[in-house]
Amino acid sequence: MSFKHEIVETNAGVLLVLTMMAISVGGLVEIAPLFFIKDTTEKVDGVRPYTPLESRGRDLYVREGCYLCHSQMIRPFRDEQLRYGHYSLAAESKYDHPFQWGSKRTGPDLARVGGKYSNEWHVQHLLSPRSVVPESVMPNYPWLLETKLDISDVGDRMRALRVVGVPYSANQEEYDRNVKQFGEKVAKTLVIADAQKNLVAQAQEGNYDGDRSSVSEMDALVAYLQVLGTMVDFSKIKPEELVKFR
Amino acid sequence: MEWFADPENARPLGLLIFFITFCLIVFWVYGSRKRGAKLEEYKNIPFLDDDEVKKDKSNG
Amino acid sequence: MSATNQAAAEQYDYDIIKKFSIMAVVWAVVGMFVGVYIASELAWPFLNFDSPYFSFGRFRPVHTGAVIFGFGGSALFATSYYVVQRTCQTRLFAPGLATFTFWGWQAIIVMAATSYVLGYSQGREYAEMEWPIDILIEIVWVSYLAVYVGTLMRRKQAHIYVANWFYLSFILATALLHTFNNLAVPVSMFTLKSYSLFSGTQDAMTQWWYGHNAVGFFLTAAFLGMMYYFVPKHAGRPVYSYRLSIVHFWALSFMYMWVGTHHLHWTALPDWASTLGATFSIMLLLPSWGGMINGIMTLSGAWDKLRTDPIMRFMIVALSFYGMSTFEGPLMSLKDVNALSHYTDWTVGHVHSGALGWVAMISFGSLYHMIPRLWKTEMFSVKLINMHFWLATIGTLLYITAMWISGISQGLMWRAFDDFGNLQYSFVESVAAMHPFYAMRAIGGMFFLTGMLLMAYNVYQTIRQGVRAEVASARAAAATA
Repeated sequence: MSFKHEIVETNAGVLLVLTMMAISVGGLVEIAPLFFIKDTTEKVDGVRPYTPLESRGRDLYVREGCYLCHSQMIRPFRDEQLRYGHYSLAAESKYDHPFQWGSKRTGPDLARVGGKYSNEWHVQHLLSPRSVVPESVMPNYPWLLETKLDISDVGDRMRALRVVGVPYSANQEEYDRNVKQFGEKVAKTLVIADAQKNLVAQAQEGNYDGDRSSVSEMDALVAYLQVLGTMVDFSKIKPEELVKFR
Repeated sequence: MEWFADPENARPLGLLIFFITFCLIVFWVYGSRKRGAKLEEYKNIPFLDDDEVKKDKSNG
Repeated sequence: MSATNQAAAEQYDYDIIKKFSIMAVVWAVVGMFVGVYIASELAWPFLNFDSPYFSFGRFRPVHTGAVIFGFGGSALFATSYYVVQRTCQTRLFAPGLATFTFWGWQAIIVMAATSYVLGYSQGREYAEMEWPIDILIEIVWVSYLAVYVGTLMRRKQAHIYVANWFYLSFILATALLHTFNNLAVPVSMFTLKSYSLFSGTQDAMTQWWYGHNAVGFFLTAAFLGMMYYFVPKHAGRPVYSYRLSIVHFWALSFMYMWVGTHHLHWTALPDWASTLGATFSIMLLLPSWGGMINGIMTLSGAWDKLRTDPIMRFMIVALSFYGMSTFEGPLMSLKDVNALSHYTDWTVGHVHSGALGWVAMISFGSLYHMIPRLWKTEMFSVKLINMHFWLATIGTLLYITAMWISGISQGLMWRAFDDFGNLQYSFVESVAAMHPFYAMRAIGGMFFLTGMLLMAYNVYQTIRQGVRAEVASARAAAATA
């Protein structure tokens, strides 16, 4: 072999640095501004963090991989307006860690499914989708009703969410701020110290799975589904106000 | 600094910088016949690794 | 004579490559089986069996994880270690660390699949692994980078061959994407559950920046590295234009990172961001096709081999599918097309025309080229390779045709109005209409999987034959000595 060049270290290094530069630009330009530009998210009333029960329901939604077949992002088209309701706002998912906009509609969009069906319908549909919608291809989820919801770590979960920016309150000062922003009734549900108590109370009162004696995973998931898309009252918002943020 | 931070200015400037960089790369690659010939020689690198394999075969 | 003596005498470090090649085949079989299974669940929902562990939502990440990271990842580790050694004419830097990347990577795939089935997921597509697995990935990946760059630095060849550029940019980009997309806060140190650092729009943007570049760098740039070594090598002709490959590399590396936002057209993401993504998507057509043309022109002098050599057929079909899906991609990134195609099976079909047609086929070609050379033997059966080729091609065509029809009909049914301006179809009518195509897709997948099983058998027999020959020659050498 006639090739006996010195080992050139700089070339590999230079290649590495230049490549790194080339691949970094795109992400920086597109992502960074979203954190600084103020008008990424609309200022609308009503959007609040999930209650402990709803938040646990959301965990189950993620656990079962619902996002792989259901989107939560209505686009501004006439057919979607008629089928699902008002197009989704950025503000409506501002407390969603992680976002669950989805990328596929094997089943329908769920961004505004809240309040469209009764609790009984949801329970029956989750237990056996084809018993209410014969053509459905959704799996049965019988274990949701059989499994008691694990509420032991709900406080830890809310503390973790608080770290990433959801305004659950850990002290009086944060509570007062929540009262100011969301009103007293909502602020009480956001107190981390009362998480378990609040969760059980909501499950009792809502009676989502039709059985008040204990809190099942079904209670949590249905509570979450029933709140989806119901926080913003669109009758109070002028469309022109929203267009600015698109 | 202010001037660069304004998106109205930053966008065309960014476009210009990357377009020029691209042109420079294309010019560097295709500009000179001599450099071109040298670059094209590198395409034989995958075929320089066979020496030992052949030796292996001859050794049985 | 012991085997270690022989290994020490080898010019290149093949042991690690052998391990990764075998696991690439194993994960392909596993991942594609799960793929066929979940496709069947959509066609025949009773297959979910009321079990939490096999329900579609938990099983789907097992499929994507096993094929992308298990099969694709192992194939990339194997070929990159092979290519970097042979084009630098040196042995691997830090072989111990390389061995760690093998065991670490396999552990990651197994742990990820297990955690999904048990219900642990970050809820972000292709990044479902929870935080402890993410940390292990980070460690393995940095080790990979160290082995790779270390090997480049001790090369005996002054120039770094272009295939290595693509592999390097894949390693760097994956490190970058993985790190930022998995920033999360765990619920506690003793649970797998975590919440992502970002929320809503920012989270969506970060996820699809990751999501599309997993396609761009993991499933494209790296496999182009594969293409730039194995296509010329197998055809016995140098790459058509080395200069084109340089321009191809820089343009692709730069532009890919911009296009992720086309996954978020018409959503709550600000318009300028998704428009920018669409613009770059369309520009990306040029470098993509530049690369495809470079590959096809390299093969063009060896058309005669196409009739006799199924490995060559895998490569040319892979390049054709690459060209097709890189044309389809920009098309689907146009806002008006996307309004129809988004949320439908068309997207699924598009991904699979890239994944089955391009990624899997170029990997099959490369593995069929590499495996006999690793074990110093010939492939056990060329006839089986040929059968694999036809099964894979027919399977891919069935799959993407089914998804085109179902995707476009879904899009049209959802937006259809009757004469009175009401929606013409309920959602579930569109679901019912998809049934035959879901069945067709599952059958396409079965074809592809059958081909894969033939490959596994063929590779198994090839390795057996190679090992036998090695033992025999070692005995003969011992006898003469």
